[in-house]
Amino acid sequence: MTTTPATPAETPSVLAPPPIDVPYAIELVGVGKRYDTVMALADVSLEIEPGEFVVLLGPSGCGKSTLLKIVAGLEDATDGEIYINGRLSNYIRPGDRDVSMVFQNYALYPHMTVESNIGFPLKMRGSKKDEVKRLVGEVADLLELGDQLKKLPEQLSGGQRQRVALGRAIIRRPVAFLMDEPLSNLDALLRVQMRSELLKLHRRVGRTTVYVTHDQVEAMTMADRIVVLRSGSVQQVGTTAEIYAKPANTFVATFVGSPQMNLFAGSVETADGGLRVRGPVTVPIGADWGELAAGSNVTLGIRPEDLAFVPPDEAGALVGVVDLVEDIGAEDFVSVLLDGVPCMVRTNVHGVTREGEKIGIRIPEGSTHLFDAEGQRVERRA
Amino acid sequence: MTTETRSSRPPRSPYVPTLFERLFARGSIDQPSRVERVVSHLLLIGMVIILVMPFIFVVAASLKDSARLFEYPPQWIPNPAYFGNYERLLTESPFPRWLFNTLAVGTIVTVLKLFLDSLAGYAFAKLDFTGRTPLFYLMIAMLLVPYGAIIIPLFVVAHTLRITDTYLALILPPLANPLGIFLMRQFILGLPRDLENAARLDGVSEFGIYRRIILPLVKPGLVVLAIITFTDMYISFIWPLVAVRSEDLQVMTVGVSTLRNMTSVNYGLWSAAAVMSMVPLATFFLLLQRQFQARSIAGALKQ
Repeated sequence: MTTTPATPAETPSVLAPPPIDVPYAIELVGVGKRYDTVMALADVSLEIEPGEFVVLLGPSGCGKSTLLKIVAGLEDATDGEIYINGRLSNYIRPGDRDVSMVFQNYALYPHMTVESNIGFPLKMRGSKKDEVKRLVGEVADLLELGDQLKKLPEQLSGGQRQRVALGRAIIRRPVAFLMDEPLSNLDALLRVQMRSELLKLHRRVGRTTVYVTHDQVEAMTMADRIVVLRSGSVQQVGTTAEIYAKPANTFVATFVGSPQMNLFAGSVETADGGLRVRGPVTVPIGADWGELAAGSNVTLGIRPEDLAFVPPDEAGALVGVVDLVEDIGAEDFVSVLLDGVPCMVRTNVHGVTREGEKIGIRIPEGSTHLFDAEGQRVERRA
Repeated sequence: MTTETRSSRPPRSPYVPTLFERLFARGSIDQPSRVERVVSHLLLIGMVIILVMPFIFVVAASLKDSARLFEYPPQWIPNPAYFGNYERLLTESPFPRWLFNTLAVGTIVTVLKLFLDSLAGYAFAKLDFTGRTPLFYLMIAMLLVPYGAIIIPLFVVAHTLRITDTYLALILPPLANPLGIFLMRQFILGLPRDLENAARLDGVSEFGIYRRIILPLVKPGLVVLAIITFTDMYISFIWPLVAVRSEDLQVMTVGVSTLRNMTSVNYGLWSAAAVMSMVPLATFFLLLQRQFQARSIAGALKQ
């Protein structure tokens, strides 16, 4: 650190958290967005605690970017209330909302140097020149941009531009960072690298972050909590482990996890003192399901990595024919046809099967997920 | 050391190209061969002669007195040069006043137009307001109306506003030309929306976004518009002829055309006026052209 210590009362460090004296940094109450007849967002309610890293995850067009823009003030919500640091912010201009944003294409000002880009938000807020200079220096040290300050954005690499965009967001000490797919313009290698850098930065700066992505790996590795969105409505809010282990519905079940969860439609029937799902694939599911009545239509879900290969003649094994083996190095993705229904198995043992081979699959007790006719999760009885 | 290594290698047989190969050989893929170079130079020299001859003729005529104007064969470089035409032009005719009027009106219109058109272009490109699209098409439709068709109505409007025979009559109507707005809108549309959004979050006002973000980034567009507008104003003839009558407000184009009436027809004087009138425009163009080229190259090298 080359920065000189300053009087803390006047100019706090960029690392100092902004004062938040309410339980939630951001609170959304029934937020909706309607374009003429199209409902882009419906009834989104969400509380984000100070310092939390929340990821909005969903396929393109699910409304995640719209939600972020509504929080930023770049779009108006047609319904609901947005509270930022306890302040109703629906009618507050973006610049006064005390949030800063990192855009997908960085949105650096091409005609300004790195130094001016980072210092711009402070300059616009009338900070003194030497204070701007000091804080820019501090941010540059934090992001290792010290040598690049006099350069123009076009002279920087993608990763450096990304860091400048982060610097511009950090320097204001906002209540929250809003990030709109900030890594999607980087190549795969750099993306992984920047992902961990971002995460380290978050640990260091400890600022509330709302992060939009369609990449489940990004979401799962970075998030304290994930908000899964689909067609403008929230499907599930939870930690990575919760979302993965207990998906709220079939959409979340298939959207999170790669390869995606195997789903088999069927109906419930009683057998051998327990229940089983009968369909193209018939699987016993035990007895501990609370409200599940025999005869009801359900969808059975099993994660590919929960399945294990066994000899085809083993008792209770599902028998199928290997359709395709995809070797991805560390693991094999094996597609097996069970009576013509494809089922994906993920195994870390190489070469156990060959395409065309007959094989048995065992479903370990307790690894099945069950969804009702509407696709909503059915919980096991505790 | 080096000579030893060299001598240890077998001598390479020198390749001698044929005459045909030499003439048509290219140094590299984008370099013309000798023949291509000669042919293209001959063509270009021919074109330059065709373009420059009238200019030289006019310059030569401006440096001759009336007696020598129609000598045959013509003297291309007058010797001795006669500067009487220039002297008369600058002292006896209102030429300096005309030049001032043209430059003043041209500059004022150009500056105002750059400001108004970029502002309107920004609104049309980036702001959501009711009636934006119909208004834009209406404006484009105005481009289709031939100038000749609106001169009389324009004069009537100017007369009703009592601004005929004033500088305002020369300045206001050209400002309404929608071409510049269209041009600026296209340039501004090319800027990513996230740039303004970033500025909005950085606490910049709408006008601040226009001034601090948009304007610096559409400089090439502004230069183009400046060149178009200024040139247009510099050579405009019909409207200034219709709009003002007093000698003091005459612009150069109209003024020079009246030289014929003032002095019967003195081609020497007329040529001197033509030469003098070329100087400011040529200077303006050369100055901006350099910036224009530098800018467009910088733009091309981006990314």
